[in-house]
Amino acid sequence: MAIAQGHVGHASAPPTTHVPAGLAGWLSTVDHKRIGIIYMLAAFVFFIIGGIEALLMRVQLGTPENTFLTPDFYNQLFTMHGTTMIFLAVMPMNVGLGNYIVPLMIGARDMAFPRLNAMSVWLFILGGLMLYFSFFAGGAPNMGWFAYAPLTQKPYSPTFGVDYWILGLLLTGVASIAGALNFIVTILNMRAPGLSLNRMPLFVWMQLVVAFILVFAFPALTVAQIELLFDRHFGTRFFVPSQGGDAVLWQHLFWFFGHPEVYILILPVMGIVSETLPTFSRKPIFGYAFVAFSGVAIGFLGFLVWAHHMFGVGLGPLANAFFAGASFLIAVPTGVKIFNWIATMYDGALTLTTSMLYSIGFIAMFIIGGLSGITLASPPVDLQQTDSYYVVAHLHYVLFGGSILGLFAGIFYWFPKVSGRMLDERLGKVQFWLMMISFNVTFFPMHIIGTDGMPRRIYTYESGMGWDLWNLVATVGSFLMAASVLLFLWNLMVSLRRGAPAGNDPWDAATLEWSVSSPPPVHNFDQIPVVQSRRPLWDHKYPEHAGDDHGAAAPDPLLAGFEQPAIHLPSPTYNPLILGVGLTTLFFGILYSSIPPLSISLAIAGLALVALAIVGWVRDSHKDSPYAAH
Amino acid sequence: MGTRHRPSVRGMLFAALAFGALALAGCSTLPASTLDTYGDHARRIYELLVPIAWMALAVFLVVEGALIYTVLRYRRRAAGTMPRQVHGNTKVEIMWTIAPALIVVVISVLTFRTQAANSQMPADALQVRAIGHQWWFEFRYPEQGAELDPADCTKSDPKECPKRADLVTASDLYIPVGRPVTVQLEAADVMHNFWVPKLAGKTYMIPGKINYLTFTAEQAGIYRAVCAEFCGEAHALMRFRVIALEQAEYDSWVAQHRVAPVIGGNGVLGGDPNRGKELFLNARNLCITCHVIDGTGAKGIVGPNLSYYGSRQTIAAGIMPYSPENLERWLKHGYELKPGNLMNRVLTRDWIAANLTDQDIKDLVAYLDSMKVSIASPPAR
Repeated sequence: MAIAQGHVGHASAPPTTHVPAGLAGWLSTVDHKRIGIIYMLAAFVFFIIGGIEALLMRVQLGTPENTFLTPDFYNQLFTMHGTTMIFLAVMPMNVGLGNYIVPLMIGARDMAFPRLNAMSVWLFILGGLMLYFSFFAGGAPNMGWFAYAPLTQKPYSPTFGVDYWILGLLLTGVASIAGALNFIVTILNMRAPGLSLNRMPLFVWMQLVVAFILVFAFPALTVAQIELLFDRHFGTRFFVPSQGGDAVLWQHLFWFFGHPEVYILILPVMGIVSETLPTFSRKPIFGYAFVAFSGVAIGFLGFLVWAHHMFGVGLGPLANAFFAGASFLIAVPTGVKIFNWIATMYDGALTLTTSMLYSIGFIAMFIIGGLSGITLASPPVDLQQTDSYYVVAHLHYVLFGGSILGLFAGIFYWFPKVSGRMLDERLGKVQFWLMMISFNVTFFPMHIIGTDGMPRRIYTYESGMGWDLWNLVATVGSFLMAASVLLFLWNLMVSLRRGAPAGNDPWDAATLEWSVSSPPPVHNFDQIPVVQSRRPLWDHKYPEHAGDDHGAAAPDPLLAGFEQPAIHLPSPTYNPLILGVGLTTLFFGILYSSIPPLSISLAIAGLALVALAIVGWVRDSHKDSPYAAH
Repeated sequence: MGTRHRPSVRGMLFAALAFGALALAGCSTLPASTLDTYGDHARRIYELLVPIAWMALAVFLVVEGALIYTVLRYRRRAAGTMPRQVHGNTKVEIMWTIAPALIVVVISVLTFRTQAANSQMPADALQVRAIGHQWWFEFRYPEQGAELDPADCTKSDPKECPKRADLVTASDLYIPVGRPVTVQLEAADVMHNFWVPKLAGKTYMIPGKINYLTFTAEQAGIYRAVCAEFCGEAHALMRFRVIALEQAEYDSWVAQHRVAPVIGGNGVLGGDPNRGKELFLNARNLCITCHVIDGTGAKGIVGPNLSYYGSRQTIAAGIMPYSPENLERWLKHGYELKPGNLMNRVLTRDWIAANLTDQDIKDLVAYLDSMKVSIASPPAR
């Protein structure tokens, strides 16, 4: 392999691990690339479902006093739309991309814990399916994705919806925490020789920051959900104010998770464009260290601002002032990133591929979302704007204009690597412009109707408030957005079969994943590459333009003695999937605690499956040993 | 109403100038606009929003301008062009770290000043309790109601005995113009949120916690208000009105309201108010299980106090304007007009069909409509 250096130790025979064919191969896979694909496909399906929920709501709100949906079903829809997009679409799409790309970018042959990785993807999917099962089991959750106490207590939410929300998300929460630990260990321990943190691609940097945020933020949600579960099932009173509980406590726990969650959704995307912008500008990222450390700063500050979701709660002006100051501060590292991205393009040779267009669109829309966030971070102004459509506009500029446009940039960028074929650029560009226009037609008017006093989460509104026209415009826009997504789906299906072959390095890029075939072999690298700079592949292709601002690095003599390890791949196993099914069954048992015979039999069956899977899992690691050389 | 139908012109301006146009749109007269303020709390917020919006607009133009310029300028270089490989420039980067920091310092100072002004609670402010229920607002004026007989007081220290009962109403919050009002915000069941866009920013009503919001209405008027926190099935239909009256008119409202209502007039819609009162007070019809009417045997506490119902601005917490015809519709079809409402969980469609004739409902309407307070209504803002 071209850019590998050092001694070749053992003759690296292709891996002999037996991979079952067809569906069985997917269900038992522990390959980070296949797991990444499963993540992304499932996330895309949930994205479509969440989008359909949004369209139904937009139809209802298209005209005043509409009776298309019942109030309760509308409430279920907005709860499920928010929950789906955050937990089941954007998060797993980021995780899926990370899963596929991170090991390739750092020159690793897999994630650190391949079986844990498989468990994560199955728990995510099973958690999502459990959540959606609620539609057929008495009604979906209808209290909002934020689930404020005490509306979530049994007397106010008597259906099983809240319980499905708690337990479904607990499953995805286990998946997320396990996944985050896996990323941390993988990125810290499995980088190729010479790939110091200071040379790590920014996408990997952002995935690392996100993994740390996740490990610290998610437990707050998990704790809150378990307390709520106990309130509803076992008679505790954590969030029952009339019996000594505290409704505001829920908000603190929820937003201590909820605000860092925003950065969990956006930072990986900032990592994506920090890869695409340099590639399509034929330049290195401008201010690598500033971009990396501003990401770290955002991750850190993200833990100090949760109460800006609670300015109306009455924490007092002093507390509000602190959280306002911390929130304003986030504008600084965010601004730094944006300036550095623009400076990366400045004086570059720009190629406006679809991926590049989406990256630029991401910056343009994220600026608007950031600026509308400034007013929300000011407590007095927030009191007029929070819980109004202004917030709906703001959050969609950040999470759709930000996260989703950035994800499209990433998907167009890495699809050739994953599939070996190019997505159609012409279709892609049409889809991009349709998306940009329809996105703004849908969400920009929401700033106006919010400023004109339209509250969020209402299924109906009076005529004569000045909201009719803009609501109709937003509804029309939302259907154009749906058309754009359909166009992408079409592009995906056509290109998978008939797309132009991609080759190893279709974009003339700089990072290691482009040095291997598309799609990459099961073991990723025949020989582990040895890295001397931030742009290993670029420096190999363009030695005269190599190195950083101090010039090209001299080969590190310490790395010359690197011995290639033998290829060690874990064998396929069903145990992570069985464990997931067992845990899900157990959770159904907890959910139906009010029906003891059903509850107990489900719990026993679930625990038995979990035990079986753990025993099998322990034996799995012994099966691997023949392939390990050392 | 004439000026309310100009949203497209105002909106297009807004779209063109993005957030900075918030300032230009200040002339909005829409019923719930946060830019068209009549109260000091909302006005100070607006006065804070304007400079922030201009700064945001400036940043928007500079940054989006730089982005667009860069893309247009460097998009068509000859194939194979190798640009200069610039890795960064520490001086420039430090500069654009400091620039946003300076802007947020300015915004912070402006913010803290407004926070300080808006959190003042003058001791002489009028005190009102606002209590959120699923899905209506209760308003209580402590010790402003009917005189109490000291003989009824059970307190050991006679000084602690209140001279007057609370004055209680629902869905319409009456306040005087020009005098600070401190609203003590509470919730009876789940969280609600008290929002009068033209008078003050919103504040939560939280069970187990008391919040305070002080504001002064600067002009007489009837102001739109809503519950802004999702609170269950009929959240969208939980609204109220704030009626700000000149002090003398307000005093007159209090003086009239603290006397128990009597039947006035001969009845609307062909109903008999006296028979309506009998029906209302008959326990079999369940009205008195939940409702209070001052000076009668109706002493339920779950639902809104219906004294002087004939002077309400709206029916069923703001879902339609008050009129005898709409009241009749509400009593007949409440389960359709406000799905989930607690009254119609008991008074179901079948229960109403079985227990109340059309004439009964007309009589009830006539009774409720007969209790009126006489004040000059201020303009709807």
